Amino acid sequence: MSRLFAILLGAALVIAIVFLALPVLAIFLRVPPGDLVAQLGEERARDALLISLKTSLIAHVFILAVGTPAAYLLANRSFRGRTLVVSLIELPLVLPPAVAGLGLFAAFGRSGLLGSELSALGVEIPFTQVAVVLAICFVASPFYVRSAIAAFEGIDPTLPAAARTLGAGPFRVFARVALPLALGGLGAGSTLAFARGLGEFGATIMFAGSLPGRTQTAPLAIYAAFDEDFDVALALGALLVVISAALLLAVKLVPSWTRSTSPSTTLFAPSASR
Amino acid sequence: MRRLAVLAAVLALAACGGDDDDQALVVFAASSLSGVADEIDPDAQVVFGGSNDLAAQIRDGADAGVFLSASATPLTELRAKGLVEAPVVFASNRLVIIVPAKNAADITHIVDLTKTGVKLVLGAEGVPIGDYARESLELAGLGAALENVVSLEEDVKGVVGKVALGEADAGIVYATDVATAGDDVLSFPISDHFQPKIRYYAAIVSPGSGAAERYLDGLMGAEGEAALRGAGFLPPPP
Amino acid sequence: MDTLNLTLDHALRSFRLSLELELGRETLALVGPSGAGKSSVLRAIAGLIRPEQGKVTFGAAAWFDSDAGVDLPPERRSVGLVFQEYALFPHLDVRRNVAFGGRGRVDELLERFRISHLAGARPGDLSGGERQRVALARALARDPAVLLLDEPLSALDAHTRGVVRGELAELLAELRLPTLLVTHDFEDAAALADRVGVIVEGRILQLGAAAELLAAPADGFVASFTGANLLHGTAQPGPDGLTEVVLDTGGSAFSTDQAEGRVGLAVYPWEVALARTESADSAVNHVRGDVRSLVTLGNRVRVRVGPLTAEVTAASAERLALAEGERVVASFKATATRLVPLG
Repeated sequence: MSRLFAILLGAALVIAIVFLALPVLAIFLRVPPGDLVAQLGEERARDALLISLKTSLIAHVFILAVGTPAAYLLANRSFRGRTLVVSLIELPLVLPPAVAGLGLFAAFGRSGLLGSELSALGVEIPFTQVAVVLAICFVASPFYVRSAIAAFEGIDPTLPAAARTLGAGPFRVFARVALPLALGGLGAGSTLAFARGLGEFGATIMFAGSLPGRTQTAPLAIYAAFDEDFDVALALGALLVVISAALLLAVKLVPSWTRSTSPSTTLFAPSASR
Repeated sequence: MRRLAVLAAVLALAACGGDDDDQALVVFAASSLSGVADEIDPDAQVVFGGSNDLAAQIRDGADAGVFLSASATPLTELRAKGLVEAPVVFASNRLVIIVPAKNAADITHIVDLTKTGVKLVLGAEGVPIGDYARESLELAGLGAALENVVSLEEDVKGVVGKVALGEADAGIVYATDVATAGDDVLSFPISDHFQPKIRYYAAIVSPGSGAAERYLDGLMGAEGEAALRGAGFLPPPP
Repeated sequence: MDTLNLTLDHALRSFRLSLELELGRETLALVGPSGAGKSSVLRAIAGLIRPEQGKVTFGAAAWFDSDAGVDLPPERRSVGLVFQEYALFPHLDVRRNVAFGGRGRVDELLERFRISHLAGARPGDLSGGERQRVALARALARDPAVLLLDEPLSALDAHTRGVVRGELAELLAELRLPTLLVTHDFEDAAALADRVGVIVEGRILQLGAAAELLAAPADGFVASFTGANLLHGTAQPGPDGLTEVVLDTGGSAFSTDQAEGRVGLAVYPWEVALARTESADSAVNHVRGDVRSLVTLGNRVRVRVGPLTAEVTAASAERLALAEGERVVASFKATATRLVPLG
């Protein structure tokens, strides 16, 4: 009976691997690599990739700049309503992307909450690259913040305490002790968030629309090309696979000094409530 | 162990299914036909979507019985690959301009679409409503309006949605879509001179399917005509 | 001369921490069982916890004053705290760890603690003793006014402990900094500190030189904590000005201390002599019993005889052919017998 169990386990693993790997492999097998590269030279594909990379990078800078201190605060302070705040931050994770798009309209659209204020400043957000960046920030930041909170929480608390007794003020503790020690988890979360942002579709197509050369990101271009120019869709898809795989590898190879956190645990670790 | 094997065998047999006539008919229909395509045969399972999107699915082997397309283009490839029978025209439509109920950009005429700063939403290239809209603008000599496009949607519902939300200033959609958008939009007609020849085509995808044939007969017959007329579709152009 | 003055009143999980201390240029050890609140005292001085009530002043500087609303953060208090597990920064090498507190004295400290050759090593590669030296060097790099040591020896294995204890005692004598260390081991405290305070459930039971605590333990707890045998009994005046204590375990013993009623009788293992027979020497107290266990500790042997533990030289143990089950007589003098109140 235990032999049967071992066989079932092995079979389950094989099935899982095949199921997950097949679609990815199929992309590469349908179009010869030469054609793949040629398709990428096409204007629409190039535009889409550039827009994707540009908006993803800008969004990522914001995510890191705002998400890191926020996560640090949440990891170190317990206050009334902390659980609520963390849940709010994690909300986009469970929100259907189209709903996220609607929400972004409702907040930043012309007739949205901030609509009149933004119009008064001459700022119109929907259908622009700013909208793409916002959509990416919205869907990708929870991935980062969650991992960052877990990474900061995973630091041995005597270390920041020791730093303070050695004369380090709160900022120095953050910059010289917390940040370096959390780097492994931060890197893993950052990579995951970046990958998620790169593949963002639902909220983007709703809030930013899809205009080649302006707001059509790679995933949107794949969707548009799917019906008419399948080869371009394949080429873009293949490239996104390569980028995602590279990002995933990068996560595994980032060195970590924290004692108990390894990249795979912080990627999906829920944040503890204090 | 034996019980597992028996169970597996039964499931496999059940999955193999009977022949087509026993299963419900699947109809792929252009989104603008919602409310009509599902009236023809209450037992039919209707899938709505952008015509080119549906054509792509059929090309990839989707199991449809009948395909109702909003233009000829999506059918060309399918016809060339022998995936569909000869298509027949069964209806026509008109294009209209829709604007948000507030119409802040004050658009009432197709010429207004060229005003600076207007946020125009059209269907994407290859999507029937997109091709028709571009044709219309060409007929009116208003190619400049394309500069105002902020988004190209894969589906006419997307165009309606953006305008209804009030985020786009105008869109070009089928006259039949206005009713579904309700109070959120206003519509303005486009002159006959600037209307493209809109033709809706029906094609049988699975030959020899009795249900498909019956559906087509229903669509082309008195019932179908009544349903189409009732929804605002025009009879096929001569 | 700068003195650390400390008054604390703070609720911990199951009791209140309530004590007063004055620390001059000396080493004071707080000893007590785990959970007695010792580490909390250090943390309060360092500013890592905020006591409900109290004052922490160093010389004229007020670090904490609950009444005046003063609470300096740790980085503004001149303390050096060595944590129990050392809390070395794993992502920095030894040199950078030591330099974290202050860059001026790094080389000097590395040399003094004989860890210059480890300057480029990471904490993870060091042995327990080496880590302790790095932690000390790091704490001193800041030139602190007060040194705080949290269980400085407990993270070390038995063999290293002895060596390190000696080195630490020398270091503390050299530094002459006001130093407060906490430990659960009375022997370590006695070896390292000028004064020892026994702290139990948040209160200091007795504070004084180690020798004082041994000679005159304030109560049963202090006595047993400092390593004494503690027997329970009832005291009454006896012959020759001595006090007779009727032991709960049977028999009587005599003490030069005066007491009446329920008492604890404390006698240190090293003051208990063993023999095969009762001899007519000056020791007045004799307890007959079977050898229950023998534990050899280097050149000493701890022998459990009946209710008492005696400590004799290994040589003596051999000479007497002590073995489990053997009948022996444990004797101790009335002058070495302390009577202490039972807690």
